[in-house]
Amino acid sequence: MRFSAADKLALRYSELMATDPDAIDAAFFDELRKYYSEEEIVELGLFIGFNLGYHTFFGTLKFYPLFSPNGRLLTQAESEKIYGPAPGSLQPSEPAK
Amino acid sequence: MTYVAPLPKETISDPELSELMGRGEALGVPDDLFPRIAARSPDLAKPFMRALLMSHAEGNVDHRLKEVIRILLARFAGDKYFAALRSRKARDMGLTEERIEAGCNDYEDSALFTEAEKCALRYADQMYLDANKVDAAFYNELKKHFSEAQIMELGAFIAFHYGMQMFMRSLGAAAPQGAR
Repeated sequence: MRFSAADKLALRYSELMATDPDAIDAAFFDELRKYYSEEEIVELGLFIGFNLGYHTFFGTLKFYPLFSPNGRLLTQAESEKIYGPAPGSLQPSEPAK
Repeated sequence: MTYVAPLPKETISDPELSELMGRGEALGVPDDLFPRIAARSPDLAKPFMRALLMSHAEGNVDHRLKEVIRILLARFAGDKYFAALRSRKARDMGLTEERIEAGCNDYEDSALFTEAEKCALRYADQMYLDANKVDAAFYNELKKHFSEAQIMELGAFIAFHYGMQMFMRSLGAAAPQGAR
């Protein structure tokens, strides 16, 4: 999948909110406005914040992926056998500076 | 001023959002800034405001404890806006600034908190500092003091409020004038 400049900026917003929120400044929002409306920017920000908070919480609950690599619905025990004791969903994210 | 300007209050005509905004202002958390910014995304503003209010002011975990946790998290998130707000309900229930400061700093050694409260504070403290420490043993410790429903209430509250605090930090939101 190729990412457009707009996609990349949205991904960067997500990455910076989690790892380096001080790097998000007025100039960054001016850049966002080249591709997104104010409504879309707020939607993105709320969505990113929501996911930032919840995925760490879910990670502590030891959720395993619901589907096998070929798309079969799995129980948590089956999923642990496939993905091992520490699947990507449980890897800690870098805390904010 | 935040990087995305809040909508003027008088332009928010949705009665449900207005009612939620009024509830936030009555509680003190959030004041009108958060919903006026969220209102730019009308589809998300109402469910997000409802979740923010319900997770904080309702449920079966002591609201005063959740208020201390909320402020601890806001300080960790570096969010000056939510960190400066105070719940009037918690204050009316007897929560003091002394207790808030103790909860945000040396709660482990403080005589002001029970073991259950310390465990809940540790849950919030470790969640975004070192989530690896929030493991099966940690949940077993929580279960000594809280029901599974209360643990999920605490976890979801922590996750949602931290996420919204990081959102407001990303917008450069400052502490409201005259807060507290």
